[in-house]
Amino acid sequence: MIEKRFKCPDCGKVASHSGMPGEIKIIYCPYCGSKGRARLPELKHIEDLAIEVSGLRKIYGDLVAVNDISFSVKKGEIFAFLGPNGAGKTTTVEMIESIRQPTAGTIKLSGKDIKTHFNDIKKNIGVLPQEFHSFERLTVRETLVYFSKLYKKRADINKIIESMDLKSCEKTLYKNLSGGLRQRVGVAISLVNDPDIVFLDEPTTGLDPKARRDVWNVIAGLRDNGKTVFLTTHYMEEAEYLADHIAIIHRGKIIAEGSLNELIERYGHGSLLRIKRCKTDDAVKTLREKGFDASSEGNGNIAVKIDYKDRVLDVLSNLRHECIEYESIDIRRSNLEEIFLQLTGAKLTGEEIA
Amino acid sequence: MRPSVIATDFVASIKTWSRSKGTLFWTLAFPIMLILIFGAIFSGIGETEYTLHIQDLDGSEMSRSFIESLNGTGAIKTKIVTSSENITSYIDENSIDRLVVIPKGYEETINKSFIDQNTSVNLSFYLDPGEQTSNQVVISVVSSVIQSFNMKLTGGRNIIGIEQISTIPEEFTFFDFFLPGMIGFTIMQTCVYGSIERNTKFRKDGILRKLLTTPITRTEWILSKMLFMLFLSFISTSLIIAVGIIVYGISVHITPLMIIIIIAASFLFSGLGMLIGRFVKDEETADTAGGAITFPMMFLAGTFFQLEMMPEFLQAFARVLPLYYVNEGLRNAMTYMNQSEAILNTIAVIIFASVFFIAGVLLTKWKED
Repeated sequence: MIEKRFKCPDCGKVASHSGMPGEIKIIYCPYCGSKGRARLPELKHIEDLAIEVSGLRKIYGDLVAVNDISFSVKKGEIFAFLGPNGAGKTTTVEMIESIRQPTAGTIKLSGKDIKTHFNDIKKNIGVLPQEFHSFERLTVRETLVYFSKLYKKRADINKIIESMDLKSCEKTLYKNLSGGLRQRVGVAISLVNDPDIVFLDEPTTGLDPKARRDVWNVIAGLRDNGKTVFLTTHYMEEAEYLADHIAIIHRGKIIAEGSLNELIERYGHGSLLRIKRCKTDDAVKTLREKGFDASSEGNGNIAVKIDYKDRVLDVLSNLRHECIEYESIDIRRSNLEEIFLQLTGAKLTGEEIA
Repeated sequence: MRPSVIATDFVASIKTWSRSKGTLFWTLAFPIMLILIFGAIFSGIGETEYTLHIQDLDGSEMSRSFIESLNGTGAIKTKIVTSSENITSYIDENSIDRLVVIPKGYEETINKSFIDQNTSVNLSFYLDPGEQTSNQVVISVVSSVIQSFNMKLTGGRNIIGIEQISTIPEEFTFFDFFLPGMIGFTIMQTCVYGSIERNTKFRKDGILRKLLTTPITRTEWILSKMLFMLFLSFISTSLIIAVGIIVYGISVHITPLMIIIIIAASFLFSGLGMLIGRFVKDEETADTAGGAITFPMMFLAGTFFQLEMMPEFLQAFARVLPLYYVNEGLRNAMTYMNQSEAILNTIAVIIFASVFFIAGVLLTKWKED
């Protein structure tokens, strides 16, 4: 069985479906109920891999920045490299981009070793480095034309400007752009050679929520156009929203890897049912006696861990049976922040939990 | 190597440069301002009383009357030089800026001219071309006195005229000394700070990291940037020379050696900037380090003042500074026309340029650690 995420064309929400490789099936959006047909991808073959990293290490003196990591990225997917600041994300992506020299390990892009074929590989990758600021006194169009002319294979600049929604600012100097627009220009620059693989190193760091959302839409559009996207981020919502595959890196090691659903299934605690403003004092005790993993959150709020969705109905019917009244309920799935906390004892912001 | 890539980067550099008011000021306006400021200082602006030395070889009534008329203007204080003095040595020994010689036979020639209308007499006016502003004042005063004499004597026909003679050879005026130094200094500033910017700001902004992932090669990048540095060097040089010619009337000789020195100096100081950027990675600190190296060099390498004015140990130190050879080379090649010295200076500049530029290119890390 393999799993594939999809974006519902009606409500725009992202969900997933699973089945056999190559299977064509009817799928339903779990949010709005829309129906459609989809084909699951064929099984992963070597030729389907955009990036293969094996035994990658980077050592600075006594510091092991990247510690023997291996992973692969399939063609056409968004791969999120998630971790707090200083985890080794940028060091890893810059070794893949050949900006830094690895201490050990092999890296292949589209099946070619970067040590021996990087001049060829350069033509087919697009890179947005971390904290990238382009030439301040070139306009958006001039900037794109400049980078485009460095390549023999060139994408249509007009189409890039249109698809990145940069038409209104194409004559604006880079230095006069907002942070969100600068990042969109950065992504646009990475597309001037119509690359197969796009590397985006923390593309939304420092942006406000609206600008971040705009950049997300641009990145999602890259996947829709068949690009492979390697994204580094320390925003778990970004990885959750965009990524088909997520690798969590902590202190130079990959500590978990898989699709969002796989990670939640493997490391999460399922879902959490929150019963708000319970009017019975011993409701927690009652639920525990019935075999539920319940705990008090104060002010009459109760949290109950749910392993599978039918357990929600069990909890609610037990509450009714025991005549326990409450104001409202909500159900929340485990998220990457919780998974990271569980795996490392630290928050994704880098803050250690005592 | 792809010329189109070099051209693309070169054009982008020019666009970026031409749109920055600050950069334009430091590259173009600042050298001109310096020339004008130094010009004002060394041309004697602010001088309230002009002394004019006069040697009266005629000793006639008419010559004495002429001297009295000059004194009568109130703008000039005359000082008589005895007729036995050798005028050339007198000027040299006493550092005279302006001196008029009334020739023997002055009165006689004027009297003759009433009969022979083609006869005239010229006063020899020795002056230091470096004292441009005060010269203009004195010349206009002397000319107006001559004019009034001509009017009185003939009703306007020019019997008396002036022949201007330079007191010292052209090569040794202050501006002829100063202008090449200004060119050397400007090339140094432009190239050192240009290189520092590329190696610190571009690194901080991720531009170098980005370029590493594109097909542009290190050679193409360096060549395009050097082309741009040369463009700036020649623009600055042309402007400085134009100001020198228009404002101070300096005569400049464009020679192949001068062009070679400008090119070699551009490579030399770009290499120096690369080395500074290599070891001082923070942009602001690198700018300060650039200033710490170029500022003393500007004063010690004979840019504004002749080396002979400094103590001997500083003169010896100046001779190990690359800017000294650039300044001296330019002076010898474009004003003094001392070709043998110019060739030696050029060789020294080329050696410095080779060492600094090659070291800069080799030691600059394009990849991250």
